[in-house]
Amino acid sequence: MHHNPIAIENLSFAYADGIEALKKINLSIQATERVALVGANGSGKSTLLLHLNGLLLAQSGKILVGDYEVIPQNFKLIRNFVGMVFQNPDDQIFMPTVGEDIKFGPLNQGIKGKNLDDRALQALQAVGLDPDLYQSRNANHLSGGEKKRVAIAGVLAMYPQILVLDEPSAQLDPRSRRQLIELLRTLPLTQFIATHDLDLALELCDRTIILSQGQVVRDGPTQEILSDAPALERYQLELPLSCRCRCY
Amino acid sequence: MVLLHVGTFQLDRDSHLSTIWHDLTPQIRLICSLLFVFATSFTANGRWWTWAIYGLGLAILITLSRVTVSVLIRRVAIESPFMGIALLGMLFRGGGDILWQWGWLQVTTEGMTVLGSVSIKALLSLLMLNLLSMTTAIADLLNALIFLKMPPLLVAIFNSMYRYLGVLIDELETMRRAALSRNLMNNPRWQRLMVGNIIGSLFIRTYERGERIHASMLARGYQGISEIVENPPIKKIDRLVLVCLIALLSLGQGIYFF
Repeated sequence: MHHNPIAIENLSFAYADGIEALKKINLSIQATERVALVGANGSGKSTLLLHLNGLLLAQSGKILVGDYEVIPQNFKLIRNFVGMVFQNPDDQIFMPTVGEDIKFGPLNQGIKGKNLDDRALQALQAVGLDPDLYQSRNANHLSGGEKKRVAIAGVLAMYPQILVLDEPSAQLDPRSRRQLIELLRTLPLTQFIATHDLDLALELCDRTIILSQGQVVRDGPTQEILSDAPALERYQLELPLSCRCRCY
Repeated sequence: MVLLHVGTFQLDRDSHLSTIWHDLTPQIRLICSLLFVFATSFTANGRWWTWAIYGLGLAILITLSRVTVSVLIRRVAIESPFMGIALLGMLFRGGGDILWQWGWLQVTTEGMTVLGSVSIKALLSLLMLNLLSMTTAIADLLNALIFLKMPPLLVAIFNSMYRYLGVLIDELETMRRAALSRNLMNNPRWQRLMVGNIIGSLFIRTYERGERIHASMLARGYQGISEIVENPPIKKIDRLVLVCLIALLSLGQGIYFF
């Protein structure tokens, strides 16, 4: 496992309409760290995540993923290194059956035959889904929680070194959300999680980064950052429910 | 044709049975079906005995494959109106003796022969294709298309169409419900306007979703062409069934030469 999977230096990005989504971002993520990226809507979280996989390219500054700079020549290596789980699993699960969708990534890596089947099997087991039951299931007929797990399995099957998740608990019921938290806790991967669910961040992540108007405004231990009510209010965030309960 | 049934019920509902038809590799099932459809369609009009032989062969196949006949018939019934529109024009075609006339409209013996022939061709072809789609998992069917050298990109597009039609129907239903909950039904003019807006909105959402799906594909290493999953090898039974089918089709075509 690479000791410093992600290093970002002075990253800036503006959309075609002139909106500056990211302004001089500097951050580094160490191996096996679980880092939460929080911020109000439009703060630039998703834009930042899309840069990690080369889906958006830095307009200025530099991003290193492992030993590779995020430039088109390295896309193949980078996309094997960074496993991206999108917010809406319906955007990600595009093959008709669960088994086929999970095999999509490894197939693109050139894996075939028994190795391919093994990868799908392991990935399904890793997310707690019974391969015999789910491999041939139609992706249309899964619940929200199941779809989220399948989306994660599709990425795990590529053996990434870092897992990047965009709003993993969005649209999940409390039980599915709880299961997801437990699942992420068991995965021994570096994780970078963009979320509005501050309680999830508090439970899972040791480190939290707050983005506000495209800038990193806080970066430190989760407990310390998410219990600072005035700072959270300044950045249009609220105290996590679990912190509020302790305050009362 | 296959897409007509997406979202209403499971397309390949009888694909998990174990029969001689199911034991054939998917690509051979597809080849058999296509041969049958082509042989049926390219038979000259009025060759009733040929279709009788093909119909008998198909009936045996349907029995052997143990598909749910009621579902098979229902599916053919859903698809038939699309054929009906094309068939209607043939009824009033000129030629032969006039059987019935009303003004310029006339039904002739030639028209009846063409109508009967095309109806039988359509019915047999629909039965065969529905038998194929009911007994073959969609993934196997698409892989079989690749075996028949259909461009992988086209097959990937079929894949996405099958996967996303259900999602789009859901989105359409969500928008329709949202409109109804705000009293869409009050005014017919508004209804028409809203339907137009909903279609426009669906188009934009489809486009945006397409962009997001493409991004997620790129994130998993997609580089323009989907990698191909290997098809299962051809077995002895596949060859045997293929030979039997070709013999049946040849018999049907040859019966008028004896």
